[in-house]
Amino acid sequence: MIKTIESGIPGFDELTLSEITEGGIPGKSSTLIYGPPKTGKSIFCNQFTYQGLLNLEPCLYVTTDHGLKQVQNNMMEFQWFIQNYIQNQSLYIIDGISQLSGKKIENTNNIKSSFVRNPSDMMVKIGIGTRFVYKKSNHFRSTLDSLNTLFAFNPQQMVIRVLNAYLRRITEAGGTCIIAYTEGIIDPNTENMLKSLFDNTIKLDGQNIQIKYHFEEEEEVTNYRSTYKITDKGIVVKKV
Amino acid sequence: MKKTHIPKLDDFIGGGIPEGSSILFCAVPGVECEAFGYQILNGIIEDGHKGFIFTNVSEPNDIIYEFSQYGWNLEKYLEEEKAFFVDGSSNFIGVPPMGKYSINELSQIEGIVLNAIDDVSNGVGVINNLSTLIDYLEEDKIIEILDKWNKRAKANNTILVYIFTKWGYEQKLIDTIKNSVDSVVSLTSIEERVIIGQGFMVTSASWTRPQNNMVLFFVLQPGGVKIYIPKILVTGPYNAGKSSFVKSISKKSVSVERMALEKFPTTIAMDIGHVDHTGFVADIFGTPGQERFDLMLDVLSKEAVGAFIIVDSSAPQTFARAKEMINKTHAKAIPKIIVANKQDMPGALSTEQIREAMKLDKNIPIIPTTITENTGVEEALDALLTLLYGDTK
Repeated sequence: MIKTIESGIPGFDELTLSEITEGGIPGKSSTLIYGPPKTGKSIFCNQFTYQGLLNLEPCLYVTTDHGLKQVQNNMMEFQWFIQNYIQNQSLYIIDGISQLSGKKIENTNNIKSSFVRNPSDMMVKIGIGTRFVYKKSNHFRSTLDSLNTLFAFNPQQMVIRVLNAYLRRITEAGGTCIIAYTEGIIDPNTENMLKSLFDNTIKLDGQNIQIKYHFEEEEEVTNYRSTYKITDKGIVVKKV
Repeated sequence: MKKTHIPKLDDFIGGGIPEGSSILFCAVPGVECEAFGYQILNGIIEDGHKGFIFTNVSEPNDIIYEFSQYGWNLEKYLEEEKAFFVDGSSNFIGVPPMGKYSINELSQIEGIVLNAIDDVSNGVGVINNLSTLIDYLEEDKIIEILDKWNKRAKANNTILVYIFTKWGYEQKLIDTIKNSVDSVVSLTSIEERVIIGQGFMVTSASWTRPQNNMVLFFVLQPGGVKIYIPKILVTGPYNAGKSSFVKSISKKSVSVERMALEKFPTTIAMDIGHVDHTGFVADIFGTPGQERFDLMLDVLSKEAVGAFIIVDSSAPQTFARAKEMINKTHAKAIPKIIVANKQDMPGALSTEQIREAMKLDKNIPIIPTTITENTGVEEALDALLTLLYGDTK
């Protein structure tokens, strides 16, 4: 059986249940969540993060689209309260965007300010953050929401290089990571290359969810499809 | 010659950097590198010279803040016109630029930096970040620009400090960049699934034969780059030969021990040694092996970057205890070598039998030794150094 972790998304784990997996997100793997704007990618990321925290799996959360305060507000809309997890240090946050608006984020043990245009600095903090969560538990999650801002502020090649370093760092430490990306913002060739860097992809188009898992042991890609809705409990996947 | 103000670095490169030379800090992604550039600039300005920072990764205000976190007053230097910015960042993110020079278009970078170099003759310029330039400009163009900057710096006696992160570039490009500067300092990481330490090593310096010692460092706020002597742990079951191992790898060592059963000495607190091997310096902490001293394992193992696990090859009944000690000293999470001691004893297991019996991962090296005869000891040291520092050593 391929080990999976709870996605936190109602219906998702049932959909991905099969003879070879327990259902959920494959553990110690990398997953790209992509699709057009406003289709629930960030919600997916936050749901995944919150479920981990509930399960006592620490999380390294890299936010580049919204500042930390905004992320907290966004999550609160769904009744996902992360303040406690920040306080008990099971959530490690790298805020890559607040600096741009001139807000100085007070760096603490588990909140670090960085800047999307300074990938070297982001990577230093990702390195420290990975160590931090790994020391708490080697079952940890990592979320990056999203690549869009990185692409907006850096050459595409640079982002791909940084992403490679990031994925290597997380997988070597045994973490499970998901990364959000809005389809169509980079050229198609680079986008294909981007998708190929991940073990799995999940496409959200506002209505349909399309999951492609590529397990290490299996040659074939495993596909799952269904529809989904965004409710006040976050994303809910329809049972098939 | 100007001091870099980075501890130990000046000693390694013959006292400092000659005026007009270029130095490249070449970092593995995840290793702190900006602080090196900022610390050199701060030190050289403190010594009474001028300096500039070219930035394409942070806005000047963020850099001023960063300096203040280190405890350095860049704002004052800016006011006194001892320092200035070449702002290659603000215009690209839509905020008002700040500094003597600002860049609107990529094509201006080459010329504006040349002007900046002229302005700080006999001073220093920090280029942060060279790797970010590569993906903006053509690779060939970068090499061409580097050559021009370095020539101008030479003519003006300006020291140029480049900050470079080794993202996944082609080795050929990295080599060409390294060859186009006078000196290269490699910044690397010590990893065991995660980064557990950072080190620097001078890999070239055109003006001297550099010492190629690896020095571990961390970056403190306030404080900047500080170096530390790494700690290596020696642990393993009772009577496996830990104290003898510490003695044989150290020039000097001290043991807190007493006679067990009035026949042979046993460690009751710790062994301390100091190793100096092919330029690698470390403090060695040996633990006692008896269970009744286990309360000390936690303390003794704190902050260790590597470990030797000594086992008695002829006593497989102690292997479970060895594994327990690996857990108790947190040695699971650091690079380690299994030293299979007492290979001269009858019934000693081979390294493969030990791997099997202890269920050890195949990437953990097991080195056969007879410590009392000093065989295998050097190999064990080399094996740990390779694990810690990879190919750079």
